[in-house]
Amino acid sequence: MKADFKTWFATLPAVPGMLACGVRRPDGKYAGYGDEKNYPAEKIEKLLGRFSELHEPLTATDLSPRWTTWAFEYGQLRFVQRPDQWLLLLLASPETEAAHELDRISEDFLAHPLK
Amino acid sequence: MAAEKEIKPERRVLIVDDDRDDLAMVGDAFRALSENRWQIHTAASVAEALTILAGEKIELVLLAVNSPVLEVSLLLGSLGRHLKKAVMASAAAGDQRAAGADLFVEKPVSPEGLKSVFAGLCQLLDWTTPQGFQGVLRRVGLPDLIQMECLGRNSSILELYHEHSLGRIYIENGQVIHAVCGEIFGERAFQKLLTLTGGTFELREFELPSERTINRTWEFLLGEAARQREQLNLRARSGESTFTGAEASSSEPANRAAEMLVCTSTGAVLYHWQCPDLPARVALLQTVARRAESLIPELQLGKLDRLEIQLPGGRAVLQPRADRLVFVRVTRPPAQPQT
Repeated sequence: MKADFKTWFATLPAVPGMLACGVRRPDGKYAGYGDEKNYPAEKIEKLLGRFSELHEPLTATDLSPRWTTWAFEYGQLRFVQRPDQWLLLLLASPETEAAHELDRISEDFLAHPLK
Repeated sequence: MAAEKEIKPERRVLIVDDDRDDLAMVGDAFRALSENRWQIHTAASVAEALTILAGEKIELVLLAVNSPVLEVSLLLGSLGRHLKKAVMASAAAGDQRAAGADLFVEKPVSPEGLKSVFAGLCQLLDWTTPQGFQGVLRRVGLPDLIQMECLGRNSSILELYHEHSLGRIYIENGQVIHAVCGEIFGERAFQKLLTLTGGTFELREFELPSERTINRTWEFLLGEAARQREQLNLRARSGESTFTGAEASSSEPANRAAEMLVCTSTGAVLYHWQCPDLPARVALLQTVARRAESLIPELQLGKLDRLEIQLPGGRAVLQPRADRLVFVRVTRPPAQPQT
């Protein structure tokens, strides 16, 4: 992972209302942050895989999603998949700064120069 | 002394007919018969009608449809009680299609028949005295009004009109239970509506919303609204842009409905409009709903309300419910270059 991407990613947990975030490289390596009690690293990694599976039927249609947002009663889950197979998962409390920042963070992730 | 002709206020009427020729003919006829006092909106499908209803303050909906009974029922069922509803169809089809309408009229076959229909619709428009009251936001503070309704443990719907956007706040027994503003709902919609400056509101008779999206107390909601307004004022004083979301959205091009599908969880199609590949869409809805269902206990985030899919030229929303799966796709017209 590039140093500037690591720095960018490390700022995400500080956004008020961000419950968890995880990123997976095309080679399968993973990094994540989350509250250890409710969202330990292993759980976020597992969720990333599950939502990647949920994303598959969508990409198989004519829809070509840029990202998907799963709006639950107590949280919003954002899943972003880049064309080069980098994956990002964000989990935000509703009506918080993190929830309002999801679009900007997703755009940043899609635009980030990664190899 | 000659009596002065009374000028009636303009009425907003929506005519829905899947026959575009009939739609244009009936629209022109009613416009002429009302001496241009009726502002006529026309829709050639249920989806178009819902799009218009979401943005316009319509008083009367005339469904002059030859569509399947289900489509008519879907539209009638989605309309609020304050809207006058009339169905115009052939006598044979009327019994089935008129359920839920305030008036059923037989489709006329002559200009005289059309005049009779017009007279019937005029009576329907004047039928009941509107309940509640109207106001202007500049004169009565919206937070004050909400506080009044909540302290009085009232049940009502507060409808707000601001430029081209329509918002609703649902209050039940003194608790704010739901808010919707354009495409957003819940607390975000509530807070957006409370940042509006100017505009008008109407307090309407309460009816249950299709869902409850707000659980917090009205005291908290109004406190949060006050905090957000204070932040906006601070930004204004420090020279930052004071554009609120509501103001910004009013200058954005309106989304356009592009596709719609309603089916049961077993895949039986209840309604569809412009789906490019219907079986594929139904399969997609079922797959996503089934897989998401299996994830819910693991996530511990409560019920899944919806899946929003951001697309290159718009977005799609998928709502899994116990009795139905709903899919709506809207496209966003390209932004006009600024000069």
